Amino acid sequence: MSWVTKGFMFLLLVLITIQFIQPTRNKSRQASRMDITRVFPVPEKINGILKNSCYDCHSNNTRYPWYAMLQPGGWLLASHIKKGKQELNFNEFGSYSRRRQQSKLKSIGNSIKDETMPLSSYTLIHRSAKLSQTERDLVTNWVEQMRYSLL
Amino acid sequence: MKLTILSMAVSILLFTACNNGSKTTNNSVGGIDSAKTEVAHTEAGISTASTKEVISAYLQLKNALAKDNDKDAAEGGNNLVKAIGNVDQASLTAQQSKVFKDISDDAKEHAEHIGSNAGNINHQREHFEMLSPEIYELVKAGDKTGQKLYYVNCPMYNGGKGGNWISETKDIQNPYLGKAMLNCGSVKEELN
Repeated sequence: MSWVTKGFMFLLLVLITIQFIQPTRNKSRQASRMDITRVFPVPEKINGILKNSCYDCHSNNTRYPWYAMLQPGGWLLASHIKKGKQELNFNEFGSYSRRRQQSKLKSIGNSIKDETMPLSSYTLIHRSAKLSQTERDLVTNWVEQMRYSLL
Repeated sequence: MKLTILSMAVSILLFTACNNGSKTTNNSVGGIDSAKTEVAHTEAGISTASTKEVISAYLQLKNALAKDNDKDAAEGGNNLVKAIGNVDQASLTAQQSKVFKDISDDAKEHAEHIGSNAGNINHQREHFEMLSPEIYELVKAGDKTGQKLYYVNCPMYNGGKGGNWISETKDIQNPYLGKAMLNCGSVKEELN
């Protein structure tokens, strides 16, 4: 075997082996008692937007795309979800202190307004998660209302 | 040669298979976990600094932002995280302790964001704007140092919504607008 073939063989082996390292899936069958819908009135429309555009990384349940099965794609996804949930988890929103809820609401509004969220790398693949201007306005207005209700 | 490759593959496989089992984590407790470590850290009482350190880290951060210096601001943010973690709650008065408990997790999170966002001064300022009223409340709850401080408002920040900050000088040095509008702002209240 030439060294090129050997190299390829090795790479292939590595690729095959890493397929066996599947990260834990972000799936929870339990309905959370701390869910945002339990602490704030969330209109159906807003709930739909949040579920469709935010919940994949900011809740305890992710709708996994097919490539999550393929490594290292799945690892990348898992690390994004971990970070996302750490920042903000809609299923745990009720467990945040009142002040933290206020800050989170404000940050949600800011990041949607300046379009840093949802991440462009996410909407590139999940086209339907992209927010229209109307949807952005809906969410930012709702977030402001909720924030004032906490003051 | 084939044998070596094969044995390598098998050993990698075994290694990863063993590793995998221990990686399972509980989904729902992520947030709670980190909260626990925070408490543990505070209780360890690395230093017995009171709120003085918190305020001086905040002022360092404020001055860096006024100079449009994102890197120094990040450093100030990191110092603030440390200072909040180092506060010895036993040394606080009842009133201070109440306010501190109320603001500490949120203020710490803002400081963390500022610390990790060198290169994005707008984002640092967004968090600074949420952080400032919390530090204000902490000062209002009684600051042992008795340092003279001023609560300053700039009505122009954030498209006319305005923003507040605490300053150690009467002289206005705007941390939200920096050089672009360094002197915008007026003292709303004198503290201590």
